[in-house]
Amino acid sequence: MSLREKIKLAAPGEFSGTACLSALRDVWRQVVSSDLQKPLDLYRDLDPQQCSSELQDLLATLKIIRQRIFANSLLRSGARWFMWLMIALIAAALVIANFGGAVVSIAVLAAVGVLAILAWTWRVRPSNYETARRIDSAAGLKDRLSTAIYLGGIDDPRGIVGEQRKDALARLIALDPRRYFPVELPGTGRRAAALVLVVSGLFAYRIHHSPPLVSLLQTTARSPLVQSLLTPIAHAMEKDLQRTLALVTRKQDVAGEQAERADAANTDDLWKSDQGPGSDEQKNSADANASDPPQDQMQPDGNQEGDPSGEARQSDSNSQSQEGKGDDSSNGNSQQQSEQQGPQGRQSLGQSLMQALKNMLSNSPGQQSNNRAGQQPPNGQGTPQAGNSQQPGQTESDKRGDSRGNSDAKQKASQTASEGAGSQLGSKELSKDQEAHPVNAVPDRVALEAGSYKEQTGMKIATETGASQLADRGLAPRQDAVINGSEQENIPARYRFYVQRYFEHADNGTH
Amino acid sequence: MTSSVGTEGQTGGQPLGQQAEFLAEKMAEVRREISKAIVGQSEVVDGVLIALLAGGHVLLEGAPGLGKTMLVRTLAQAVAQKYSRIQFTPDLMPADVIGTSVVQENGDGRKSLGFQPGPIFTNLLLADEINRATPKTQSALLEAMQEKQVTVAHTSHLLDEPFFVMATQNPLEMEGTYPLPEAQLDRFLFKLRVPYPGREDLHEILDRTTQGNANPIRPVVNGAQILEMRTVVRTVPVAPHVQEYVVKLTLATHPENPENLLAAKYIRYGSSPRGAQTLILGGKVRALLDGRFNVSLDDIRTLMLPALRHRIILNFEAQADGRTPDDLLEEIAGKICTK
Repeated sequence: MSLREKIKLAAPGEFSGTACLSALRDVWRQVVSSDLQKPLDLYRDLDPQQCSSELQDLLATLKIIRQRIFANSLLRSGARWFMWLMIALIAAALVIANFGGAVVSIAVLAAVGVLAILAWTWRVRPSNYETARRIDSAAGLKDRLSTAIYLGGIDDPRGIVGEQRKDALARLIALDPRRYFPVELPGTGRRAAALVLVVSGLFAYRIHHSPPLVSLLQTTARSPLVQSLLTPIAHAMEKDLQRTLALVTRKQDVAGEQAERADAANTDDLWKSDQGPGSDEQKNSADANASDPPQDQMQPDGNQEGDPSGEARQSDSNSQSQEGKGDDSSNGNSQQQSEQQGPQGRQSLGQSLMQALKNMLSNSPGQQSNNRAGQQPPNGQGTPQAGNSQQPGQTESDKRGDSRGNSDAKQKASQTASEGAGSQLGSKELSKDQEAHPVNAVPDRVALEAGSYKEQTGMKIATETGASQLADRGLAPRQDAVINGSEQENIPARYRFYVQRYFEHADNGTH
Repeated sequence: MTSSVGTEGQTGGQPLGQQAEFLAEKMAEVRREISKAIVGQSEVVDGVLIALLAGGHVLLEGAPGLGKTMLVRTLAQAVAQKYSRIQFTPDLMPADVIGTSVVQENGDGRKSLGFQPGPIFTNLLLADEINRATPKTQSALLEAMQEKQVTVAHTSHLLDEPFFVMATQNPLEMEGTYPLPEAQLDRFLFKLRVPYPGREDLHEILDRTTQGNANPIRPVVNGAQILEMRTVVRTVPVAPHVQEYVVKLTLATHPENPENLLAAKYIRYGSSPRGAQTLILGGKVRALLDGRFNVSLDDIRTLMLPALRHRIILNFEAQADGRTPDDLLEEIAGKICTK
């Protein structure tokens, strides 16, 4: 019965310690019987009491040979164990500082090992039958003695067993089996003696000295040769480390400065957006100083476009239709717009998105509530520059734009601004603003991506002409993610900072 | 494990010990008589004598002119037994071997079917070039060799004891031959290879056969004594480790056992239990012939090749690699631990 079955039978569903022990005992018996007991059963050990009287001399001889075999086995195993102990002592003397403790441990280990060797050698000692077989093999007796021992319990003096026994004993008398099995020291005796000498020397050395291996390593480390070899390597490694540290520190400083500057700019934006009309100019200038103008600059533009008479919407559609027709005037307008936007328009997508993040980082409750409410952006609240979306006289297109919420309005406004058609059709204040802060041509694609986000994903802009057309959505997943993230309140500050730095790096890469 | 040990003191009136000694003496005399006609070939002669005392049959394989037929005839004279020879040819029919029923006329003039015994009804049968007969005729020997009887027209006829078949086959001329089926090969106790004589032996052969008359062969033992010797042989004890070695050796030739890598690679069919029986019985005879009363490992090792070489069937890979049953058996035996 297997171990698993027995455990299950003893206590279904539970683990029974008694059953487990019993099963382990059975397993041990199987192992022992398969390895050791089987030969003993097969080649039965002769009981001298039941043995024929003719075989007593043979049994006496076998006893002597068994003792010699046992002694030789013990010596071989003991010598092997002694060598291992000597090696352990050498290792301990070389390395371990507390040599006394190590010696005591090894002595305990030696005693346990000797006992184990004794027990095992006694356990596997040869039987009379096995000893007879060994004598047969050594003396060339052709299995006479082993057969005689096997038939030792049969008393048949006139039969073939008797003849066989006589034959075996006659052969045994003719030779001296003891000379085939001398007690001899194992072949590892010389090695063991050498190890004993080494251990003695180490013992004498350790009486007044520290572990020689440790001392050797220390001395070697202090030697001029090793120093001359190791010093250049150490210096080089030190320099590399310092350089790396400097690089890391510098990057952190730059990032910190940029973050502080952006926060300051945002704070200014927010402050100025609440000041009413004319704050756009200050804001734009502040944004320009903060080197992230396009998005901010276009947002008010869009607001302006979405305003009074709904011309922004109209101009948007006009521009699109004109582009489709290849109208020169509209193209000229858009190109002119792009040229006016100039270097600001070349700001990368990362910068524009970073501005969105900065807005988010400013964490203004009023601003967030306004954004969530789908109202006009802060700089457009109740101000003429905000496009007066709440004013009467709005067109239907304006109403639609309002109903879409603030983000839609932003996107559409920026989009139209990038297309260069609607912005000029807006208020005069805008044109003044642009004149005051000359805007260079912006790559259409950048302007599109920085503008109305929702529609932008479906648009693809021809960079040379500024024309837009329906295209795949492969342009804006990054922006969508940022914008959506900016609308969330519970983004951790560290993550915000990380995203911000990421886009700063992206921005640097584009430039 | 049990071992058959003869505990009875005597069989046939004499103590077993004396019978064993008698056997050894008589076989030594037979060997001397055979050596009058056969020069050298001591291993073949010993194998034939062992097979005779063990109650088995021998397949001799050797080139023509090596004294196979001479050996059988000499042995028949030395043991004073009836001897017959059948020259196997492709047109030989089973009835030509075992006999047939023929119409016979009684003394009162009535006719009836009577059995006419074939040449197989003898003590020593020489089946010369047995592989030239068709398998049908070869199979006619199966029952005779194993059961010591033949069956004709639903009637079984016992053969005389001792019945000893010595078949020969020529390994050179394989064209027009029919290799013996495995069932019949297994019925031969030994397959002995008859080697070419050496230089000394060849000189002796020339001296004996080209000068003067050959020495007459004197009968040494009779059939009854041979049967008695067979009884004595079976009383020889076998030590357990020797029997264990025989079992290991036999099982080691089986390719089914995954541990037998060599057998799995080169052997298609391993030895049957008859192989193990042959080893033990042959070992007992050899021990007696050697003046011992127990089987030793040396006996088993000596008899391994003649007892097993025709009982293992090699596969194609062995033939492609040029392996022979003898070298495979030697290799297998070398890997078996005797403990």
